[in-house]
Formats: sequence, structure tokens, C-alpha cells
Amino acid sequence: MTSIAPTLDAPRRRTAQRQFIVPLAAVAIAALALSWASGSGFRQDLLVMVAVYALIALGMYIPFVMAGSMSMAYAAYAAIGAYSVAIVTTETSLPPLLGWLIGPLISAAVAVVLSLLTRRLSGFYLAAVTLLFSLAFEPWLIELEPITGGSAGIGGIPSPTIFGWEAPRIVLIAIALALVIVVATLVERIRTGAWGVTVRTMRDVPSAVEAMGTRTTTLTTVTLAIGAAVASLAGALFVSFMLSITPETFTLSIVFMALFVPLIGGQASAWGCVIGAIIVIQLTANMPSEFEGSGQLVLALGVLLILLVAPAGLIGYAKAFIAWLKRSVRKARS
Amino acid sequence: MTDPQLWLSVLEIGSFFGLIALAYQLTLIGAGFFNFAIGPYAMVAALGASWLTIEAKIPVVISLLLGLLIAVVVSGLTELLVVRQVQKRSGSGELPALVAVTAVLFIVQQGAGTVFGRPALPGQMLVSFGPWQFGEIYLAGTTVVLVASTAVIFLLVSLWMKLSRTGRLLRAVGDNRSAATLLGLPVGRIRLVAFLLAGLIAGIAGLLYAPKTGVAFTSGLSWTLVGFLALVIGGTGRTWAPLVGGLVLGAIQVFAPFYFGSFGPTTMVLLIALLFFAFRPQGLFSTRVRI
Repeated sequence: MTSIAPTLDAPRRRTAQRQFIVPLAAVAIAALALSWASGSGFRQDLLVMVAVYALIALGMYIPFVMAGSMSMAYAAYAAIGAYSVAIVTTETSLPPLLGWLIGPLISAAVAVVLSLLTRRLSGFYLAAVTLLFSLAFEPWLIELEPITGGSAGIGGIPSPTIFGWEAPRIVLIAIALALVIVVATLVERIRTGAWGVTVRTMRDVPSAVEAMGTRTTTLTTVTLAIGAAVASLAGALFVSFMLSITPETFTLSIVFMALFVPLIGGQASAWGCVIGAIIVIQLTANMPSEFEGSGQLVLALGVLLILLVAPAGLIGYAKAFIAWLKRSVRKARS
Repeated sequence: MTDPQLWLSVLEIGSFFGLIALAYQLTLIGAGFFNFAIGPYAMVAALGASWLTIEAKIPVVISLLLGLLIAVVVSGLTELLVVRQVQKRSGSGELPALVAVTAVLFIVQQGAGTVFGRPALPGQMLVSFGPWQFGEIYLAGTTVVLVASTAVIFLLVSLWMKLSRTGRLLRAVGDNRSAATLLGLPVGRIRLVAFLLAGLIAGIAGLLYAPKTGVAFTSGLSWTLVGFLALVIGGTGRTWAPLVGGLVLGAIQVFAPFYFGSFGPTTMVLLIALLFFAFRPQGLFSTRVRI
């Protein structure tokens, strides 16, 4: 129906193969990235930012790309995740892992409330309410100074340890990349599963899903809650590496950027979020200093170009290339 | 809430919010989605005019007109090169178009930052007069110009929507696009007119508001947000609704900090929006379309 709508599944057998090939390739690429980054603090920071953006985009993937509901509160969800970890580690003696659990739960609860308030209205009202929530959230962080440290934020967060072992930073980054790969694999599994097909059908023909006895409003709420929880992990990840957080860390412009990420990578698969995150970070954070600020310009122009010329994104191109390769191989054989 | 000076600034920023929201409303009627690039149109007009006057030493009149021209052209190009093409490709779904105008938002912001420089510039005025003092009220010339122009623009637009052929066609397209297409109305041309008019109004709003606050390339995003909020509060049913929404939003922004501290403005807007969405999702003013 729409050209960036999900295509229906390839035969099951091929999907089953891909289930292993793509994550294994991702692990190999992550290993390469780790060896590239070892010894350079800047490159390690870039990898962390890629992981953060990829997680935010993966959070948006199920509600935005699959279900077609646009929430703009992901910056707030990431901030909730970050503050949860920061507060748990600095204020209490509880394990930091608890912060990693609390943040996603709070975010999901907020997403459910915001979604319920607008469930009878069209998608635009969800965008409006979540945008307002994002805007209002920053002053709350500043005003609730006893808990959040006000506008100075929370600093001096101890680096995470693994059962008391102070792991070197590169090991922690390896864990972060592993987390991204696991989440991307899970989201991809969800996408191709029965539930994912229902969600994607709801995006294009809601009346059909409603007619089959599934409440579309409830389904939308569930997707938004999952997305919020995943995006919250991005904030927790960020604070575990940068070791400080202020109200200005996660701003609205991150939300707008994250809208682009799946589009650049390709919306056909959850892995598009990861590819898109790599490109976005390369363009915005890893540009030579004389091009500073023009990265966003290039990025936005690229998004327009992709929308106009290649709505399937990089993955779409790669798929077309592989199909072409297979065809020519077959021709050469016969 | 008895200080007349504060009410004056409510009137001033409310007029600005109202104008931006009116530009939103025109593209909403014409194209059926929220054009997030409205704020950058206003920004590029103001920043362009200031840069042309200060850096390129062009007379103020010409640079103001050139600023307006930039906004109108950018708005027209948004429709012709981006929105129309994307909607042609991906159907009438609103999400691809929304992502596309978000990209336009960044392009205009960063493009303006690259061309006109990144530091904030003061806004330019054609003639400067005032300020006057009436008792306790201190009235600046820019305020008078902004409020008066807003009144005139809203009057003209509502008359245009009611009386002119193009205005009535625009309402027909907004009420029921497929019916308008079936009737053979020139939908494409009317949409373009709506975008050009929106660019013009946004440009005027930016030019008139910039002398008060100055303008930088990042102003675009924040102006986009306030205009959107004004439209959410006012609703889209009447031509005057964006102005009412703008004034309500202006009052919140001026008075909320007094009563609720820095918590105030955005939280108040959030609460008000939630109340509206719960009880009156169509905004303060709405029309029922008979089909």
C-alpha cells in the first residue's frame, strides 16, 4: 500500500537461515569495530554513541515503523533510563542493574499513560502530547533538584563493575555492542513473528485487524510501551559510559534525528536502525572540524534524497544488489 | 494578573504565535499534515534580512523584501520538490511526509546557519519609532507594528478564505480532498497557493518578531514548536482559531512563571493540552463538515 510499508515475509526457510547469518555478521563487524577503537578514547566514545542511537532507533522501530504511531517522547524516555541508573548508583547502595530495570519500567508506564490519554484520537494527537511531555520534562528535571541534581545534573557516577571486577573500558563497550545486537535480533524476531505481522497489518489496514478481534488501540499502547522501554536502555547505556547526566543531555533534536535513523538504514529490517545509527554518528560526530555542523545538513539532505529516490534505504539497495548478483550467477550457470 | 504591561507582552507574543499557527493551518488545510518547517521559514526570513542588512550592507527595505522572498520560495519548493513527490510515492499516509518536512526543517536551519552564519543577529526594522509611555505602560514601536499587522493579516486571510475563489477552493480541498479531486478542482495549484501563503505569513511573523528577541539559526525549531502548540490549543475550525490559541499560549508563557516558577510554562501547556484532548480534542473552535 505505502511504499515504505513492510513487505510480507519471504518463505519461512530463508527467514530461518537469516536468523543466524545476520546476527553472526553483526558480531563479526562489532569485533572489527572493537579492534578499531582499542586504544583511542574518542573512537570508543563514537562506538558508545552508535550504540545509544541504535537503541533509541530500535525503540522507535516497533511503534513508529511497524505500527505507524509517532511518539516524540523518546528523549524523555532515554533521560528516564539515564537518571534511573545515575540515581541508583550514586544515592543508594543497590546494584546499578536495578537502575537498568527501573528506568524501562517507568518509561513504559509513562508511555502507556500518554497513549491511553490519546487512544481515541488520531495519531497526530499522540505526537502532540508526547512532544509536550518531552518539552515539560526538562524543567521537571531542573526543579526536582534534591533528586536529580538540578541543572547541574548528576556527575561522578562510578564506572560499572562486573560482580566487583573493574573491567577495562573496551570490555564494557563489547558488552554494550552485544546488548545492541541482542536487542536488534529480538526486534527483528518480533517483526517476523505472528505478533509483528499483526502490528504491521494494523499500520496499513487497521479495520482488518479490528475485524479479526484484536483491539488496535490496545495493540498500539503495547507497542508504545515496548518502544519506550527499549529507548530507556539507551539512556542507561549512555550514563554508564559518560558517567554524568544533565537535563540538556537528551534534547528534542535527538528525537528528530532518531526519526531519520531507520529511514537511512532501511525500514525493512530492524538492522536498518543499527546501520542508520552508524551513518548518523559518522556524519554528526566524526566529521573533520572544518565541516562542523554541516553533518546535520548532509544528513537531512540524504534523508530527503532517500525518501525521494530510494524509500527502502541502504538495506533496500543491498537486497536489490544481492538479487541482481544471484540472477547473474544463475544466468552464467545456464 | 493585573499588570497591564504583562498583558501587553501577552498580546505581543500571542500575535506572533498566532501568525505562525495560521501558517500551519493553511498548509494543514491544503496538504493535510503538519508542516514542521514553518518555524524555519520564519527564521530564514528574519535571519536572511538581518544578514543582508548587516553583513552585505543592502538597504533595509530591500533586504526585508528579499528575506520574505526567501521564505516564500523555500515554502513553495517544499511543496513542489518534497511533499508532493513524497506523497506521490508513498500514498497519502502522513508519516512519510512528516519525516520529509522534518528533514526540510534541519536543511533550512543548517543551510541558514551555513550561509548567514551561526551567531544570533538583531532583527531589522523598516522605520523605528516609539517607545512611548502611557502612565505605567511602556509601549515599543515594534509591538504596535506586530500586533497591528497580525490583526490585518488575520482579517485579510479570513476574508480571502470566505470571499475569494481560490480561498473557497482551498476550503473545499481541506474539507474533502478526494471529492475535490473527483470534481476536477485544481488541487495541486491550490495546495501550492496554500504553501506560498504560509511561507509569506511565516516570513512576516519572523521579520516582525525578530526585533524583539533577535534571531539565530536555531530559532527555527523553537518557533515550530510554539506555533504547533498554538494550533493545538486553538483548533483548526475557524480562521481566527490560531490567533486565540496563540493568545492563550502567550498568556500561559507570561503568567505561568509568576505562579508556578520555572516549572510553569511547559507543564501548564501540557496540562491544558491533556484537558483539551480529553474533553475537546477538536480545539476551542471547530467545524463539522457535512458530507
